[in-house]
Amino acid sequence: MNPVHLGMPAFPRGAEAALGDATLRGNLRHATRTIRDKRARAVAELSDWAELRSAGAALKDRTLRHLDTYLKQAETAITAAGGQVHWAADAAAANGIVTGLVRRTGADEVVKVKSMATQEIELNEALEAAGIAAHETDLAELIVQLGDDRPSHLLVPAIHRNRSEIRDIFRARMADRGRPAPEELTDDPRALAEAARLHLREKFLRARVAVSGANFLVAETGTLVVVESEGNGRMCLTLPDTLISVVGIEKVVPTWRDLEVFLQTLPRSSTAERMNPYTSTWTGVTPGDGPQSCHVVLLDNGRSDTLADTVGRQALRCIRCSACLNVCPVYERAGGHAYGSAYPGPIGAILTPQLRGTTGELDASLPFASSLCGACHEVCPVAIDIPEVLVHLRERVVQGGPVTLGGSRFHQRPAPGHRAERTAMRAARLLLDRPALLARAQAAAGRARNHLPRRLPGAGRAWTDSRDLPVVPERSFRSWWQEQHGAAAPASAATPAPAPAPAADGPALAVDAAGPPTTIRPATSPPAASPPAEAGARAAEPVGSREGTGDRTLVLTRLRAALRDVPRHERPQDVPVVRDYRRSHRPGTAHDAVELLAANLADYRAHVHRCTPADLPETIAGLLRRRGTEVALAPPSLPASWRTEGVRWLTEDVPLAELATADSVVTGCAVAVAETGTLVLDGGPAQGLRRTSLVPDHHVCVVHAPDQVVDSVPEVLERLDPARPLTWISGPSATSDIELDRVEGVHGPRTLEVVLVDRGPALSGRG
Amino acid sequence: MRVALFVTCVNDTLYPGTGRAVVRLLRRLGVDVEFPQAQSCCGQPQFNTGYRREAEPLALRHARAFAGYDHVVTPSASCAAMVRDNYPRMRRRALDEGRPGAAAALADAVDAAGRTVELTEFLVDVLGVTDVGAWFPHSVTYHPTCHGLRMLGLGDRPRRLLAAVEGLELRELPGAEECCGFGGTFAVKNAAVSASMGTDKAAAVTATGAEALCALDNSCLMHIGGTLTRTGAPTRPLHLAEILAATRAEPHPLETP
Repeated sequence: MNPVHLGMPAFPRGAEAALGDATLRGNLRHATRTIRDKRARAVAELSDWAELRSAGAALKDRTLRHLDTYLKQAETAITAAGGQVHWAADAAAANGIVTGLVRRTGADEVVKVKSMATQEIELNEALEAAGIAAHETDLAELIVQLGDDRPSHLLVPAIHRNRSEIRDIFRARMADRGRPAPEELTDDPRALAEAARLHLREKFLRARVAVSGANFLVAETGTLVVVESEGNGRMCLTLPDTLISVVGIEKVVPTWRDLEVFLQTLPRSSTAERMNPYTSTWTGVTPGDGPQSCHVVLLDNGRSDTLADTVGRQALRCIRCSACLNVCPVYERAGGHAYGSAYPGPIGAILTPQLRGTTGELDASLPFASSLCGACHEVCPVAIDIPEVLVHLRERVVQGGPVTLGGSRFHQRPAPGHRAERTAMRAARLLLDRPALLARAQAAAGRARNHLPRRLPGAGRAWTDSRDLPVVPERSFRSWWQEQHGAAAPASAATPAPAPAPAADGPALAVDAAGPPTTIRPATSPPAASPPAEAGARAAEPVGSREGTGDRTLVLTRLRAALRDVPRHERPQDVPVVRDYRRSHRPGTAHDAVELLAANLADYRAHVHRCTPADLPETIAGLLRRRGTEVALAPPSLPASWRTEGVRWLTEDVPLAELATADSVVTGCAVAVAETGTLVLDGGPAQGLRRTSLVPDHHVCVVHAPDQVVDSVPEVLERLDPARPLTWISGPSATSDIELDRVEGVHGPRTLEVVLVDRGPALSGRG
Repeated sequence: MRVALFVTCVNDTLYPGTGRAVVRLLRRLGVDVEFPQAQSCCGQPQFNTGYRREAEPLALRHARAFAGYDHVVTPSASCAAMVRDNYPRMRRRALDEGRPGAAAALADAVDAAGRTVELTEFLVDVLGVTDVGAWFPHSVTYHPTCHGLRMLGLGDRPRRLLAAVEGLELRELPGAEECCGFGGTFAVKNAAVSASMGTDKAAAVTATGAEALCALDNSCLMHIGGTLTRTGAPTRPLHLAEILAATRAEPHPLETP
């Protein structure tokens, strides 16, 4: 177990402590309920949600069943695009690789994009130990880092903090790590976001190395995708010279087109938005734009072990949306810390015991941290049957069974502390499997009904401490029926059937039909029969080695071993993916798409202006005038007529410090998506470098309607070239990190003005 | 049509009134329901706590007890879900473990699972009735239990049945779809969280001011009801079957037994 979570108590004790904290309970209740309702509304907008969910699950299953193939494909594509791929079998290897890469640059600090993988491996601690400061730049991560705290939610790591607690942390601790909080900082979320903006901006502008995770890695193109809200991601992904992305091996998706599913389901499931404010995609190195040294660290760290379990492997479909946390009644009460890992909530309860094993007390208690109510499964955008995996892992804990850990397969013994329960379960089953005996027990209970205690001692107290016991009836249903109808049941079925002739694979019934209920005849084979080769304790099977290309061989060998159930002749395309979701949700003409775009842009607080081509120069001039812009930034390819006179125009190749002095930036875009209110910039005409549209606080973006407007995410992916670095912009920068409430304006432009240039119906016509 | 009542071990032992109500209701609707004495527990406590192999004999018993019946009707959403969702899983796991003999035996349990229906499914889908001629002149709030709601997907069947009951006033339960916190062994393994969920559910129930809390699972009602009586709340937990069985001729007393 990692040092940060060492010595954590088992889940029930951690949960009980959290339940006693009224502030924490209030914070969690408020935040999870806020986002729960919003998510339901965002999902209800898509009539084909069920189809998208099934397709997402199928795409992930296809990927997982052929993960070794896809990882090699991704590696080839990244390398061809000028990136460098590193393989890490475990946390130590990954931390070693990242530390070495940072040292080679000579930098003593890095800026970080929020990343679950780097939390999981505790990269910050490893970097700090090597004398490298790691600055978290996501607002919630910053709150956690400044508060010497631990994250408690996948999406909103500081969900356990309310606005006044955050203000106190900023006031007390910001000065320790850089620019102090403003003197008169209030608990207004806007003011808190502004304080973070000022505190982090100096770090963004001087950073030479950034560390990120990735939401997706497209195997066919080698493209990495980071989905975010605040613009801190864009800062990290575009300003430094060196970018190191730590990517869990399960983040792979086969093709560029496959993003059409996940870029619809992820934002709606996580922040409950049609589209998150910013999505960045990049493929290796783009000469002259963004980091010129791009590294991808492919992280196993228990994932191949998880993959080896045919029931548990579905946990690797997870896209880290956190919808399951937000609907979970247990998470709402226990809080994230009780789960003792980077992955709290229902997904953590099935992921952590698989990534780390179930030998620790906390890890062994996680599969029981659920009432199996199924709300998590219902909202999961990739249909992970979390209750199914929970029950499966419970079995591993109480009964033992075949397990893969660190690439070794062995038969795990039951976890300690379940002997009494095991005996009770077997005794109960033996009683229940003898209806005649059960009837006698029921009759005895009926006779004693007036003498039963209201409060139970020992383990029974767990029930009677908060609940009354049911009143035992005088007679059971069974006895009533017999009185009414006579005991006319076929005798052969009234007692356990004689065990069938033992099959070679062991009996299905470990029942002694003749013996008294307390006598347990051992089964002729171990309870969880494992293939002979793996039977016995820790018959470790060393797989792979660390020689050669880092952990590449080791990870790939583990993956192939984990996928032994996949037939050798199976090809990825043999795993069916049904794409019966809609290409577009908007029936109608091109004109409607522009209206929808305008409405959705405005809904996410972009200012929309409509004009004709002839009016465009004056429209831009008016916007800059109203803003009071003196210095503006323009890509070299910006049409001359868009460059308002009287404004000083900077070119984008000026030093970063000077770039940051621009009041406004004017760009065009490649394409806009009506359904999500998204503008996509691809570095083409009038768009320039990625940082150009990022650093100034005021962005004026020109969209030519209807040519540059498509309906939907599937349509826009068809139009885009994954080889180009893309920036998807949906409204101004925003955060939901304070009480899961959306606040506009953090690191990216806080004001987004969109000029829709309409050629008018006479000239429209879509190719 | 041969119809068997799968009463479930919890109802058999602790809530026989629910079983009797199902018999009375189905007979009133012209169904000659039988009670195979060989039946017992579906194995849910064992299965959900991680003792899948202990649940296997009970699944096989279920298959034997209900062999030859067209419909196996149960007044428990959670036991119906156990049988329907998990017997096929148990069979698949046995196959994966290289136990074809056990898997073959469990095929009979899977067959029985295919014939096992929850009471409201039987009424609405098989018999095609929503008005069962019940009379229950009381205010009622309805808690859709998790297995009925999310695993069986019972939808509005229970509400349609309740809406047709003469004299019944249905009161909306705030946060109805949230789990009550019972969860089988969860109630004792994570007692603090379970009790907190139960307390919130009980408070929501009390706030409706309804005379009765209705659900399709007596195990959940045992938990919520135990929480209600501990706090002295007057709302009486009541299985839907008992409401549907009540008529003017044979009214439900609505008193604590």
